[in-house]
Amino acid sequence: MKGRRATGVIVVLAALAALPLFIRSEYLLGILSVCFIYGIWATSWDFMSGLTGRENFGHALFIGAGAYTAAFLNGKVGFAPWWGLPAGAAMAGGLSLVIGIPTLRLRGPYFALAMLAAATIMQRLTLIFWQYSGGEEGIPGLDPLLESKAAVYYLCLGVFVVITLALLLLAGSHWGLILRSIRGDEAAAQAAGVNVTFHKIAALVVSAFCAGIGGVLYAHYQEAVTPDVFSVALSISIIIMVYVGGIGSLYGPAAGAVLLALLPELLRGLGQYRLWVYSLVLIFILFFAPEGVIAPLWRRVTGGATGGAP
Amino acid sequence: MTPLLEIQGLNKRFAGLVAVNDVSFSLAAGEIAGILGPNGAGKTTLFNLLTGFLASDSGSVRFDGRDLAGEPPHQIVNRGLARTFQLCRPFAGMSVLENVMVGCLAPRVRHRHAPRARARAILEAVGLAHRADAPVEVLPYGDLRRLEIARALATGPRLLLLDEPFAGLGATEIEPISALIRRLHASEGLTILLIEHRLREFMQLVSRVIAMDFGRVIASGTPADIVRHPRVIEAYIGRDDEVSETGEPPAGEPRGAA
Ligand SMILES: Nc1ncnc2c1ncn2[C@@H]1O[C@H](COP(=O)(O)OP(=O)(O)O)[C@@H](O)[C@H]1O
Ligand SMILES: [Mg+2]
Repeated sequence: MKGRRATGVIVVLAALAALPLFIRSEYLLGILSVCFIYGIWATSWDFMSGLTGRENFGHALFIGAGAYTAAFLNGKVGFAPWWGLPAGAAMAGGLSLVIGIPTLRLRGPYFALAMLAAATIMQRLTLIFWQYSGGEEGIPGLDPLLESKAAVYYLCLGVFVVITLALLLLAGSHWGLILRSIRGDEAAAQAAGVNVTFHKIAALVVSAFCAGIGGVLYAHYQEAVTPDVFSVALSISIIIMVYVGGIGSLYGPAAGAVLLALLPELLRGLGQYRLWVYSLVLIFILFFAPEGVIAPLWRRVTGGATGGAP
Repeated sequence: MTPLLEIQGLNKRFAGLVAVNDVSFSLAAGEIAGILGPNGAGKTTLFNLLTGFLASDSGSVRFDGRDLAGEPPHQIVNRGLARTFQLCRPFAGMSVLENVMVGCLAPRVRHRHAPRARARAILEAVGLAHRADAPVEVLPYGDLRRLEIARALATGPRLLLLDEPFAGLGATEIEPISALIRRLHASEGLTILLIEHRLREFMQLVSRVIAMDFGRVIASGTPADIVRHPRVIEAYIGRDDEVSETGEPPAGEPRGAA
């Protein structure tokens, strides 16, 4: 069973690593790079919200924090683009403390709403402080992290794989067990000796840190950043990707995000009907497979048990 | 000898209702005692005050010589005071073994014992070893009650608070759980305080009964004394129209048990 899973993972990774040898289209490699970035966002969302059950309606806050930090340092200050990675991740992690510490000690919808509000407020602030953030147009003219599209593809794939595996390891560790107990029953977790507030905040910091890295990759891939990175639409589409992949499994959302981000491209031939089909596919999946699609399918193929990490 | 648990003048009010009213008593280390009282007497609220799930309005709780005022639930657990819930609260989406492992990860015990092995040993002790890998969703109610106890035991308590460990169990299921509690007390040297609203289950189990009604302690003594205590008899018989949560009328139990 373990062997089949390892084989499955290796086959998928080898195929993704070999892809640039067959795909010459820079456009397609770029699309795939963005798909991996979506994978980072969905997996990091799932680590906090899927494991502890506290839904985050403003993951774009962390994405935008990473993207704008990187864009500001590179585009406005003139730092080399690589500085964006530690700075963007740290900014996202710091913001997660600002939101998490006051709201995660409370039960109820405070955390979810604070995240939603904070992302929206940040989007407004980029317009108000346009001297620093470039307003509506954002900050254009960023340097790419790497010159060739194939190199960027490997960078995004590599970061995506490393983050996903690291979060899977954490989810499968004793810490992951503690986080899942909070989702199972918060009061019972306290009675079992779990400091639920601390662990929720710690999980959020890890989640934000990874999302911030994704945001930095995104800004430099686009060579520009716009206020859209803080949008509610982005936060919601990440949540949809997680649900389609199978919430709480991490690998399901990782794969689900890559595939869903790719879907609009695959449907390009449908022209104007593209968005209709895309939406119908989503509704169909969420309606008929409330457990998601990828994670249950993977478990059936590899013969795994329910729940937990692979 | 100083008592392991010392409760003094504890009060808790919900809006107009006084749920716990000037409660004082103490427990010696190694004691096994029961709290008796009809539904709504304030027994669960008292447990919530002792374990930090609710803050008291006044009064003090000392455990092992230390004042627990203001401590959050997980910290109280880590001092060695664990509880179970009246309604079973397993961690949904996890296996039986994983449920117990969470308790084994409490800082108090995690560095002394490997969590997985310790969780297995505890499941063995409560008679759930054969269910270790089952998801909690498929457990019958009797096994959920055992799991509730196992998870509390996992935190390595000195004092175990059991909130109606027999609730929802049929007559044949009560005796094995009762035997388990006796065993924990006898062989592990655990101090145990348990809640029950039917006096019958207490007779063979506890050495002392603390009877509550309307938030107050109305009597305290051996089960045999309590059965004959006029205020206890009044508390039960005076309200024989009341139906308990398990669907059985608690009325007349003292007479039946006597
Ligand atoms: N969180 C709460 N808010 C308001 N009232 C409560 C709360 N918890 C308990 N009560 C009330 O306090 C009284 C005592 O309840 P409880 O301690 O659960 O009784 P018991 O466990 O003895 O059946 C009841 O009248 C109950 O309705
Ligand atoms: Mg109760």
